[in-house]
Amino acid sequence: MNDRVIAYQHGIYPRSEDLVAATRGLERARASQHEVDERIDADLADFVRTQRDAGLDCFSDGLLRWHDIFRPLVRVSKGVDARTLVRWFDNNSFFRAPEITQRPSVESNLPAVFDSRTLVPEPRLATLPSPYLFSRAADTQRHRNDLMRELARYVLRPVVEGLAERGYRVVHLQEPWLTFFGIEPSDWASFEEALQELREATAANQMTFVLHTYFGNAIPVVDRLRRMPVDAVGVDLVETDLDAFKGRWEMGLLLGCLDGRSSTVEPLDGSVRLVQRIADALEPSALYLSSNCELEFLPREVAKRKVLRLGEIARHVRGTP
Amino acid sequence: MSSTRDILSKPLLTHELGSLDKPSWRVKAYAGVALDERDIEEALSWGMRLEVPDHERLLDLLGRSPLDDAQRQEVRRWSSRYGLRLEESAGLDVVYDGEQQRSEMYAWAVAHANGFEWRGSVRAFDNKYYSKAAVTGPISLREPYHNAEFAFLRSVAGAPLKVPVTGAYTIADWSFDEYFIRDHDLALPVAERRKQRHEARRTLVLELASNLIRPNLQALIDLGATWIQLDEPGASTDPEELDLFVESFNVSVDGLDAVFSTHLCFSDYDLFFPAIERMHGCRQFAVGFANYDRRELGRSDEARPGYAVIKRFRDLPYRPILGLGVLDIHSDFIESPELVRDRILYAVDVFGDPYRIHVTADCGLRTRSWAVAFQKLVNMVAGVRLAKRELGLSQV
Repeated sequence: MNDRVIAYQHGIYPRSEDLVAATRGLERARASQHEVDERIDADLADFVRTQRDAGLDCFSDGLLRWHDIFRPLVRVSKGVDARTLVRWFDNNSFFRAPEITQRPSVESNLPAVFDSRTLVPEPRLATLPSPYLFSRAADTQRHRNDLMRELARYVLRPVVEGLAERGYRVVHLQEPWLTFFGIEPSDWASFEEALQELREATAANQMTFVLHTYFGNAIPVVDRLRRMPVDAVGVDLVETDLDAFKGRWEMGLLLGCLDGRSSTVEPLDGSVRLVQRIADALEPSALYLSSNCELEFLPREVAKRKVLRLGEIARHVRGTP
Repeated sequence: MSSTRDILSKPLLTHELGSLDKPSWRVKAYAGVALDERDIEEALSWGMRLEVPDHERLLDLLGRSPLDDAQRQEVRRWSSRYGLRLEESAGLDVVYDGEQQRSEMYAWAVAHANGFEWRGSVRAFDNKYYSKAAVTGPISLREPYHNAEFAFLRSVAGAPLKVPVTGAYTIADWSFDEYFIRDHDLALPVAERRKQRHEARRTLVLELASNLIRPNLQALIDLGATWIQLDEPGASTDPEELDLFVESFNVSVDGLDAVFSTHLCFSDYDLFFPAIERMHGCRQFAVGFANYDRRELGRSDEARPGYAVIKRFRDLPYRPILGLGVLDIHSDFIESPELVRDRILYAVDVFGDPYRIHVTADCGLRTRSWAVAFQKLVNMVAGVRLAKRELGLSQV
């Protein structure tokens, strides 16, 4: 197991106080776009340093230019707009619901937000919305399962292929909808089809493909999830008792082992014990460690401590503290 | 008090809802940053446009920068006058000052409470962030934190006042809990952690209601406040805690001698039912709907999808008034008077009673420029006039 423990930080990472002030200044015409860009680069360099210090195995750009998990994809897609603010699950955080009025498709090349190659070392990790989440969070009159397949084929797949060309090696899909709101039995086949679309793109490019559920208990859906065409399935250990799962886990398993919504950093010993216990019991083909959700609900300094703790947990689980 | 009850019974009453953006001259002068010509011009032009009495004195004060502490406090009061006049000039029936003297609705309350420590900025949406604190000790009121502004506003306002006060549940929801939640070890069983979390949350929310909000409300009432709005934008964040939200409202206001209303926004409002059936002390719910609505004219169910839920407010057993949000505060789109009219007439048709409908923005307009905020409010008042005309109601 030791050589198959991979730690990375997914999702939108919080901005520094300086960057928050700069973006506020830009909106009030008291700062320039150039100043904001410089702050973003500084934040990105700092986040890369944190990931290195933590000893993480893949590097994220922290999605520092993203306003929410959909926005850059909305901006480069035909037939998609974003206006209405909607609560992001049970958080004091809001996204603009993608408004989809026709078959969506990526209009231009890869969104500029991914163009941080010079600052982010390889191997790189990209976080994208799962097609199920995307289709359910959308404001649309279209049939949602049709939309889910279209989003996978015409929006997410071209983006994944673009990412492969740019040195990204892990595609991490965020899927909180499934475990927060649930899924109808009749929707699984379409979801699988949508994931298969992306699976073909990741497999052709030797990318690792992770589907990560969070904000809810994964146990009720875990059997079905394990038959999905992905390399690993992620679960949120804040909400899920994996001790309740019996049997072997014959694929990759991502453990969301740090609470991205709590300002208290989890104790090292307890976290290592928990991860080790699950790994020993389930024997996954590869073990991925990350936070249970994106860290943007935390102030940056707290998030930084969590990322460093993630690295510590990974080293202890590998037996190389 | 009786005059407040009279005002509340006015059909299609228009009122303020929360904060306005802070003018650059206020922000800079208060922060000790040098003002430029544009700031002075902004103070002058809005002073003239809103007919702020004696606004030349503000220009004189700004010209003395850098300001000492007393002068900086005076700048804040000028900002209050401007905010108040903006709402009065737009024609609102009930006003406040756009919370010009407060730092922010959450930060202001926390800064006047014991038991918190600041942790840093967290995103709410887009590029909008708020400072988030952690609860680190027992909660109590350090000092009443709206009395000074209320006393000042009462001395300068021409229209009746409603005091917005951030509610207990929202303060709890927007804070980290490092005090009541004792154990953060994920190795504990989920059910045990969840039980601890719920118990800790309940203790925190009710302690905020009884030890922070209630004494602050009592201080306002002692000073003469008669209508107080508890702002609870976080109320439906956790659908499993709506009973706790209702309990916290009741603990905050039960037995106090004033009219209490609450403001809810950016939520799935269906979640509030049936929990708010027990919120008997709430005379009015001010709720944001325009964000979810279409922008085309029309008064049918199909034309007004953002207002589909209002019949559930109509059917509440204690027959509260609905403060109908008709302005999308997250967009520079200026609602026409006709669009406002149609939203109102749809709601009046659903309620069958214009006396149970008040008219307001979805939420505070602080993310909009003053030019946009003012025009939205002017059109809102114009829309009310159109609606009243169709309903045959007095324009007074």
